[in-house]
Amino acid sequence: MESTYAQLAWIVPLAPLLAFLVLLAIGRQVNRHSARIGVAATLVSFIFAVLVFVERLGAGTAYAWQDWDWLTIGGTAVGFGYEVNNLNALMLVVVSGVSLLVNLYSAGYMKGDPRYHVFFGYVALFTFSMLGLVLSSNLLELYVFWELVGVCSFLLIGFWYHKPEAKAAAKKAFIVTRIGDAGLLVAILILFWQAPHHDLSFTNLANAVAEGMIAPGILTLTAILIFVGAVGKSGQFPLHVWLPDAMEGPTPISALIHAATMVAAGVYLVARTFFLFEESAAALTVVAVVGAFTALFAATIGVAQTDIKRVLAYSTVSQLGYMMMALGVGAQVAAMFHLTTHAFFKALLFLAAGSVIHAVGKQDVGELGGLGRKMKVTAWTFGIGALALSGLFPLSGFWSKDAILTAALHENAAYFVVGLIAAFFTAFYMARLFFLIFAGKPRSEYEHEPHESPAVMTVPLVILAVLAVVSGFIYTPFNSWFGDWLTGAPAAEHANWTVILLSNLAAILGIGLGWLMYGKRSIDADAFAAKMGWLHSLVKNKYYIDELYRAVIVKPVKAIGDLLHLADRFVVDGVVKLVAGGALLLGRAGTRMQNGQLQGYGLVSLLGFVLLMALLAGRRFFHVG
Amino acid sequence: MGANLAILWDNLAAFFSRGTNIVFTVLAVLVISAAVLMINYEKIVHMVLAMAVAFIGLGGLYILLAAEFVAIVQILIYGGAMTILMIFGIMMTRHTNQDDPPRRPVFNALLLVGVIVLFGLLFYAIQGTAFVTGPALDPGADNTRAIGELVFNNHVIPFELVSVLLTVAFIGAIVMAKREEE
Amino acid sequence: MDNILPSYLILGAILFCIGLYGALSKKNAVIVLLSIELMLNASNLNFVAFAKYGPVPALSGQIFSLFTITVAAAEAAVGVAILLALFRNRGTSDVVEMDHLKH
Repeated sequence: MESTYAQLAWIVPLAPLLAFLVLLAIGRQVNRHSARIGVAATLVSFIFAVLVFVERLGAGTAYAWQDWDWLTIGGTAVGFGYEVNNLNALMLVVVSGVSLLVNLYSAGYMKGDPRYHVFFGYVALFTFSMLGLVLSSNLLELYVFWELVGVCSFLLIGFWYHKPEAKAAAKKAFIVTRIGDAGLLVAILILFWQAPHHDLSFTNLANAVAEGMIAPGILTLTAILIFVGAVGKSGQFPLHVWLPDAMEGPTPISALIHAATMVAAGVYLVARTFFLFEESAAALTVVAVVGAFTALFAATIGVAQTDIKRVLAYSTVSQLGYMMMALGVGAQVAAMFHLTTHAFFKALLFLAAGSVIHAVGKQDVGELGGLGRKMKVTAWTFGIGALALSGLFPLSGFWSKDAILTAALHENAAYFVVGLIAAFFTAFYMARLFFLIFAGKPRSEYEHEPHESPAVMTVPLVILAVLAVVSGFIYTPFNSWFGDWLTGAPAAEHANWTVILLSNLAAILGIGLGWLMYGKRSIDADAFAAKMGWLHSLVKNKYYIDELYRAVIVKPVKAIGDLLHLADRFVVDGVVKLVAGGALLLGRAGTRMQNGQLQGYGLVSLLGFVLLMALLAGRRFFHVG
Repeated sequence: MGANLAILWDNLAAFFSRGTNIVFTVLAVLVISAAVLMINYEKIVHMVLAMAVAFIGLGGLYILLAAEFVAIVQILIYGGAMTILMIFGIMMTRHTNQDDPPRRPVFNALLLVGVIVLFGLLFYAIQGTAFVTGPALDPGADNTRAIGELVFNNHVIPFELVSVLLTVAFIGAIVMAKREEE
Repeated sequence: MDNILPSYLILGAILFCIGLYGALSKKNAVIVLLSIELMLNASNLNFVAFAKYGPVPALSGQIFSLFTITVAAAEAAVGVAILLALFRNRGTSDVVEMDHLKH
């Protein structure tokens, strides 16, 4: 039957959930085996995801299961279920695959950590949330998993919570993404109001849009609001500030969440609700412009950073900008393709960087160097990843970036130019990173002799490297299988030789410049930086965006908070104290009356009697009752 | 205004034309001033003496009300025995050093207000009542005899009960006031 | 004025109120007792006045006032006896000091 495995697609998210629950319950007892539980669960997920994917290769219509009514409000019911279509199936494989490799890698990386089992539990919870998000059949369900993914990110960024930077970074991530989520929530509310039968499922919404049941103004508004949610989650400008700080978390997490999967959720969301964007040129323009700007913006910042993970983080932001730009110019296929290839080589780069950090315990490139000889596998895989990211032929990054750039050129030459410049910078900073880490002589003392990481860490690196090389061939100008399958319609992909040549040229120039400055040392990097002076410090300090936010947003909000705190202390507490004081006063007065003195009691009796008599006598005058 | 004053003057003149009324007024003023003085004197013996004057004044009022027996009993018991009893009480409960009583201004003010309001209510009640005066009482020549006849014919049982009460009271008083034997 | 009864009644009310004031505001217990006697006297005055000037003039008003005088005397005697006992125990005849009703 066509949908045998699709019917079992619910196993894919539930296996990691089960692992999470098991680790939650008996994690402490099975501390040493936590990694095995995590790996086993994600392996099961991956196997089923591949089965679903393979099945989907031949299938026609999507499979949906929506039988469970979760909330019933008045006459409308909000359902809970899952849907398997081509887009989903692809994401399932990517997410579960990368999660499997990261689990395997973490077995070695996190060894010896006192909260080992907690880590794997959180990773399993995250995998469950991300897979659930991908399988969601309606927008509200997606939002639930969206938030859950945010929570897992928070937990994992702040995993080493005794470090104050980690705590701050976790808070920052959660709060900044929350701003985006607010936009998404408003969009969901508007759609709930506008959709026929108040049904938020994607099929229903797509039908509604296709039949023109929603006003154009509302469509644009909703699309932009959904994009706001994506901006938060995928770290686009201006909500990109949390991603670099999120590097405080363990490196496997940076690989899994902040490179391959969670940040891709924003891209996935826009792709899933693309039927809304297609109807609104304004929304598409917003998406493309923000994406393009972010791509260039982040690439320039990455050039001047000195922490390995921060460079990679800005690189992620930049590549996500590329994906958004692709969506903005209408190239859904290119965006999803780039998402897939990016997942592989970015995860590879992060895991390789993790390998370096694990070996020498340092993260600042100013202190590294000369590791190429000692850590051959890491160096080679990092190099492959860097080349793939730079977009050099024939690695996967080239094909996906080429697809994006072609579509961009087709739409508006400005996007193409921006993309090209960003590609140059990308190649440059990756080359810079590579040479600073692996070539030359060590710039500081290494505590123990660095050696290659254990097999459990290098095997995932190799697997990802292979994927980074070959995964590009599924969608080339000469073979558009991927595009056809994803969109269900033949995607015309023409080879545009201008784009191919120019993008490769940009990559080679970038790598060449990087080699000259940091490999061969014929151009002095520091003198160059000094000559650039203010520009260099502007870029190095991330354009002072964090400082700007702190001054314009954080400080005023904190001031309001302090004001309200004062109000709470004096006004609200004052009222409470007033009431309490009043009761106390009344009590004290009562105490004074009950002092055991006869004359006091006599007085009270007299007054009471007099009052009573006066009231009775007064009835005469007031004719009451 | 002028007419009201004229009516008032006429009424007053009519009131004071009768002798009994003058005597009533004099005695009433005497009693009231004695009572007020009792409240206001500092020394305790002065207070008791003022009270004695008030009792005697009341006796006079009883005579005016053709209650001669009651008047004599009043003077004998209140003005005589009660006053002496109180003085003995004072004598036996004297401190060598009498310190100034703690002023309780709020208490006293509140009390004054309460008492005045009470008086106001009573005044209002009395003024508002239309008293029906029956035939004037014929006091008879011998008030004592009349009372005696009434008591021993109609009110014997209360009389006997009161005597029992008196007995109980003086036994109780003796027991209470007896000095504890060491 | 041919009706003098209200005057007697008001006089009684005045004496009653003065006695009440004294009973509740004086410090010395003897004076409190004395003030109570004044209040009783005021009520006696009422009885005797009604005996002469009331709707049904009769001597029973006077007889009742005799009984009242008797009972008042007995009560005063017992009161003073109690006061003596208290004074021996506490050393003071101040009513403000006697606050055992508090517990």
